[in-house]
Amino acid sequence: MEKLLKEQDVQYIKELFDRDLVDPVELVLFLESEGSDKVTDANSQYLLATEEIAREVSEISDKISLTIYKDDKEKEKEYGVKEISALFIQGKNTDKNVVFYGIPSGHEFSSLLEDIVNVSQGATRLSPASKETARNIKVPVEILVFITPTCPHCPRAVKTAHQLAMENKLIKAAMIEANEFPELSKKYNVYSVPKIVINEKVQFEGALPEDMFINKVLSVVDGS
Amino acid sequence: MNEFLTVPMVKEQEEMTSDILLDMVILGAGPGGLTAGIYAGRSGLNVVILEKLFPGGQIAVSSRIDNYPGFPDGVSGTELVRGMEKQAVKFGARIVMEEAMRIGKEGTLFVVETVGHKKYKTKTIIISTGADPVKLPVPEEEKFRGRGISYCATCDAAFFKEKDVAIVGGGDTAITDALHLTRFANKVIIVHRRSELRAVKALQEEVFANPKIAFQWDSIPSHVVGDEKVDGLEIKNVKTKEKKVLKVNGIFAAIGTIPNSKIVRGVVELDERGFIKTNHNRETSVPGIFAVGDVRDTPLRQVITAAGDGAIAEFSAENYIKSMER
Repeated sequence: MEKLLKEQDVQYIKELFDRDLVDPVELVLFLESEGSDKVTDANSQYLLATEEIAREVSEISDKISLTIYKDDKEKEKEYGVKEISALFIQGKNTDKNVVFYGIPSGHEFSSLLEDIVNVSQGATRLSPASKETARNIKVPVEILVFITPTCPHCPRAVKTAHQLAMENKLIKAAMIEANEFPELSKKYNVYSVPKIVINEKVQFEGALPEDMFINKVLSVVDGS
Repeated sequence: MNEFLTVPMVKEQEEMTSDILLDMVILGAGPGGLTAGIYAGRSGLNVVILEKLFPGGQIAVSSRIDNYPGFPDGVSGTELVRGMEKQAVKFGARIVMEEAMRIGKEGTLFVVETVGHKKYKTKTIIISTGADPVKLPVPEEEKFRGRGISYCATCDAAFFKEKDVAIVGGGDTAITDALHLTRFANKVIIVHRRSELRAVKALQEEVFANPKIAFQWDSIPSHVVGDEKVDGLEIKNVKTKEKKVLKVNGIFAAIGTIPNSKIVRGVVELDERGFIKTNHNRETSVPGIFAVGDVRDTPLRQVITAAGDGAIAEFSAENYIKSMER
């Protein structure tokens, strides 16, 4: 496959990683082999490109490793994989709770890079008040963020959800590429992105500022 | 499948120290602000661009721009703005992801305070906060926003594969969006309050030649029909007063913009619609504060006019700084 990242971009990302990465980060990617019933005409290109992106990014820094599981039902169960592809960002402040379902391309590529930096540093960019609120949550929370790669305001929602998960392992946060999973998009009535679904209960659209986003999460937590 | 990868050019906000005196703070990283940033960087000014959501502003959601010189085959808004962003950063402008909240004065200097309570002390300010789309004027707007009503065709077009959609508006943005929507939708109905389009001739020719596009002339939206999601748009003919319901699942709106001038309300003079009044040097009513692009009282709101404004405002700001130091 042709390289997806331009040489110039690789240089820029290398500078960023050299400056900002601290501890190792493991990218854990779940795929299926060709011939599996999960690989269709519609998604085979996505799967190839996702693998390529993960590979190219991991090659930019020694601090990033890539583990690929293909057709590994046991590992999928261990990680709680819902869809293929699934790309988990594993490091000291995550535990199988920060994931990208589908290709992290377009504007979401910036979410992937920012996640890697945040996990490597073991720290998020949330405000002190938001961190405190996130850490105080005592019940499991699952946040789904539906996006399209052409949506420029979607990364704000993905980054907020992923950072909340980095602050508290009871929170699972997933980006879902809406075009790649039309069934899921249909199930959750996605007509506009970003669309956020929390614990299957609260749904909203739009890239809300951090404090308003957290209030939506709290509205679910308080109700349970 | 979209294969482009957006590599962030923005600098870390932690890096910024707010106690140093800046030459220029630019509010908003759209084409106007980024152009001012390029010019300021090249002039060796200490310049910070504050951006609240994402660089690019409204053009970041434009699927295709055909009237920006140098791109004979058109260019996507994302691609164009990425180039501007890189260029501004290359010449030393720092883009910081923070929302400005207040502008204050300290002697001859200005202080820009952000939502996160950071303060930037600066000699000059360029306002390039742009404009937001006008909401669809129907009582059900809030209920159906995100459930079929959308203001971002590039973001949401794919959810209307094989469906019928309406687009309200008749300008360049509406027509560009309509053409983009035909790549996904079964049928695109343009609802326009006049009997002819305001969009440029080249776009009109393209839209009239497209078999997927239909028109409802002299019509304005009156109600959105549906239960949980949009099932139709009721429109009213302004001439005959007749009403009818279009069976559509998506409604896209491109009916003009409202200026993002809240931050300077009470600071600089605005016109009756909220656009910032400027002179030919792009100076506002307050010396040291300049305004560019969609947020100012300009006769034409395009990428190139915003970029041109950015260059002029930066030039004026430099002269202002020189006169301060005299």
